[in-house]
Amino acid sequence: MFLRVVLAEMKKNIKQYFFTSRVLFWTLALPLGNGLYFYFLYLPFEKGSVNLEFNASIFTLDLTGFTLIGQLLYSFFTMMLLAGVAFFSERWQGTLETVLLSPANRIALLLGMALANALNYMWLLMGVMFSWMIFLNVPVFIGDFLAFFASVLLSYLSIVALGMCFEALCIHSRRGHMYANMLQEPIMFFSGLIFPLQSMPRALLPISYLLPLTFGLISVRLTVLGGASIFDVAVPLGILASMAIVFFALAIWLIGYAERSAKAEATLTQF
Amino acid sequence: MIITGNGKFAVEVRELSRDYVSTRRNHLLGRKKTTIIRALDKVSFEIHEGELFGLLGPNGAGKTTTIKILCTLLEPTEGQVYVKGYDVVKDANHVRKIVNMVAGGERMLYLRLTGRENLEYFADLYNVSRREVSTRVNNLLELVGLSDRADDEVEKYSKGMKQRLQICRGLINDPEVVFLDEPTLGLDVNIAKDIRKFIREKIIKEQGKTVLLTTHYMFEAEEMCDRVGFLNKGKLVAVGPSDELKRRIPSGFSMEVLVTRSTDEVLEGLKHLEDVKKLITTDYEGQIDDEKINRLIINVDSDKAVPEVLNYMSTKHCRVVSVNLRGPTLEDLFMFYTGET
Repeated sequence: MFLRVVLAEMKKNIKQYFFTSRVLFWTLALPLGNGLYFYFLYLPFEKGSVNLEFNASIFTLDLTGFTLIGQLLYSFFTMMLLAGVAFFSERWQGTLETVLLSPANRIALLLGMALANALNYMWLLMGVMFSWMIFLNVPVFIGDFLAFFASVLLSYLSIVALGMCFEALCIHSRRGHMYANMLQEPIMFFSGLIFPLQSMPRALLPISYLLPLTFGLISVRLTVLGGASIFDVAVPLGILASMAIVFFALAIWLIGYAERSAKAEATLTQF
Repeated sequence: MIITGNGKFAVEVRELSRDYVSTRRNHLLGRKKTTIIRALDKVSFEIHEGELFGLLGPNGAGKTTTIKILCTLLEPTEGQVYVKGYDVVKDANHVRKIVNMVAGGERMLYLRLTGRENLEYFADLYNVSRREVSTRVNNLLELVGLSDRADDEVEKYSKGMKQRLQICRGLINDPEVVFLDEPTLGLDVNIAKDIRKFIREKIIKEQGKTVLLTTHYMFEAEEMCDRVGFLNKGKLVAVGPSDELKRRIPSGFSMEVLVTRSTDEVLEGLKHLEDVKKLITTDYEGQIDDEKINRLIINVDSDKAVPEVLNYMSTKHCRVVSVNLRGPTLEDLFMFYTGET
């Protein structure tokens, strides 16, 4: 039953997203444009590099690769953050009530929606970004494939779990969507998307360490560009795994709370 | 699973109240002002197995609030509600398996999916047996005459087709109790008639389901419902079979008079005639010789009142366009209990 609801929710969302072939075109065109943007942004610096201090070591990473990976993960993160928009659109379609009228498992609904959002263009985004890295001669140096896969997978899971929390908030209130929008810029700043975290004032670092994107960026950059081993990135991977569990548990609690309070406060029909 | 209700009824509502809290500020930084609006006030009624029960009342009477509580989409502030003996708050998940709801209007469907995809999606949410999904979806589509458009996107459907698909969605889990919230709202006469026939003949007679219907259309309730309840400002003011309720109206007849030049003064005098029990004025879209026509519904004790009323109007220089004397209808009941037109 659980898996059936997850799959039904994914199928519905993917079908609605790719309702016309033009969506496929734009899904391809947008990351292509992003890559072009970064290429010209860093062209004046020629082949610059950035030093990333981590775990008492200094990794020297290619600047274009550093920002391309930043952009890749940030796009994914933003997309998951805005996954609540899917519930938001259910509000104005009037389907939120019909979905919650059913006995379907609420976590399965959230998970299906989050996975559909992740799948909708993540595979294309990754393909295009990696193509750009090859085209721009970014020196990819994957020393440990296990570390690389673990970094991508755990980044993915922790961000999906956080996206589920925002979806749950959107069941409770239409304002969930607004909060997700407001968080985009601060997250871009605090996660170390464009600059390494060591450039940031120390007092602000605790905020960065609350974001799964921060650790996702560290581990993916180090494993893709710096040849880091699983031991080098054990700490960020451990944190990412913990965050995935915590956010998933939080999403389970939030969905129950959100539905109960929406029924008590009569906010399900607001749009 | 504990059955806590009486169990004799399909639906039991006991002393149900629901408050809505509204907060607003006079300006952006102003102090919050909270207002509590009582949408339902100690409402009690029950619906028998296989019965079609109509819940009637003007806008804002609390009909939709009642339906939403019954199908677990809203929590009651006070009172108990049982569907098939299961508490809608404590045992909400079980209630959801045995009920479904259809609302009027064009929402509540996925417009970019086809009709069939919509139904298959909801069949998955209700865990309808995989072997049965295809047969059930096809049967439902056939039942409402949508088989030939099943694979078109819903956004290409007409209003009537969307409403018929909504009814399919509401029956996809083969519910024991169906809540219909103004199912014919905004539909043209023929489609509304088809839907009423479908509800009466297929859902009630053939499938034996219990139905709670809310509607604004009194003739619809009169044509379809076994019993009706009148909600007014959150209170249930009358409940019973419509024939029985009609007998409760103190005056046995209604005169429908179309008249011009009926000033406030004339109407006030009319109210004081001996045989006139109640007078309601309604708007009528019509003119005669550039004079606006008013429609008066006058509750009278007997046909003896007719000459009295007509004589009075004649002395007041009113122009009577038509007079119709009839026994009370559900519309008269509605006006009697709610004071609205």
